[in-house]
Amino acid sequence: MSLNKIVETDSPANFIEEMEKAQSILPEKIDANPKNVEKGLAKLVLTLVELIRKLLEKQAMRRVDANSLSDEEVERIGETLMKLENKMKELKGVFGLKDEELNLNLGPLGDLM
Amino acid sequence: MKIYIYGIIDFNDNLNNSIKGLGDRYVYNIPYQDIGVVVSNLPEQVLGKIDSDYVIEHEKVLESLMEGFSVLPMRFLTVFDTKENLISMVRYYYNDFKNNLDRLYGKVELGVKVIWPGESIRENIINLYAGNSQKIRISGNSQAMDYVTDKFQEYKTDKAFEEEANSRIKDIDRFFNNFVVEKRLEKLKSQNLLLNASYLVEKEKQEDFKEAFEHLRNVPGNFKYLLSGPWPPYNFVLLSKKSHTFNNLDKTDIFDRILNTKT
Repeated sequence: MSLNKIVETDSPANFIEEMEKAQSILPEKIDANPKNVEKGLAKLVLTLVELIRKLLEKQAMRRVDANSLSDEEVERIGETLMKLENKMKELKGVFGLKDEELNLNLGPLGDLM
Repeated sequence: MKIYIYGIIDFNDNLNNSIKGLGDRYVYNIPYQDIGVVVSNLPEQVLGKIDSDYVIEHEKVLESLMEGFSVLPMRFLTVFDTKENLISMVRYYYNDFKNNLDRLYGKVELGVKVIWPGESIRENIINLYAGNSQKIRISGNSQAMDYVTDKFQEYKTDKAFEEEANSRIKDIDRFFNNFVVEKRLEKLKSQNLLLNASYLVEKEKQEDFKEAFEHLRNVPGNFKYLLSGPWPPYNFVLLSKKSHTFNNLDKTDIFDRILNTKT
């Protein structure tokens, strides 16, 4: 018995590479054990904070795009987002986490990063 | 001894063909009302050794079943402790299984993947905006304003990139529209993987579909295409009941595309 599936392509290597990339951004399990419980929890919490930060940023950009914000409001939003991003960088550094580790598969919405 | 499940079929009697499954064990059918669960016994020592190479064995069994039956493929590595537990799962999902078997009768899944030059397309968009930077410049020159300007440029680039992707996907999808019953389109799983599509196709329309793929493949340009299948309808099984935890069943939905399964 052998597999009779047809796979037709002129570029198998490219597809393998891209599928591997797509697989590698799938969320991994939170690996919490007594030795790294802090990092495991930090990863979970920071992933959620990052999700909220990105949503806020996107919403803000939509409003900028729609010209529905005054200059003062844009200034205030910019300052808030900038501080939030800096704080996230700091926390990621404290827990030794990289950007790609804070990923979430949001189902039909795709991946967070 | 565990019971390993391959799939649900629209047949409630013994299988005529001798199909060998995981661990070289013969596959058999456990009937429930008018449907059947195709399984094989799996010694615990084999279970401990199973890795992703066994995905192919799982798929071969499903392929054999597809020749004679409508098949709802089960997630790779779905294992039950006892027949009673398995039957209780089938009892719980019976209506869903029946509806899906009826809906998917005589149909197969075909996969189409498309790679586009995502990096250079994004680059072009960035250059386009760079040339028109005053259009997206936000008034003011504070650090916060600069930050918003940069973020806004990224936002506009992402938006334009997505719009371009949507437009190309629409063009590609048009090639297959006449031959498909249902479809699942995944956009930009990575920057270059423009489309990862699953199409549900009636068996007799497979050749038309493949011909459409050849037409698409011959369109001049630097896109790369891949066609795969026929697969059992991994992406088209719909469950109305929520996933339920049975003793040894994985806690996630019992159906999944096996190639996504991490062991």
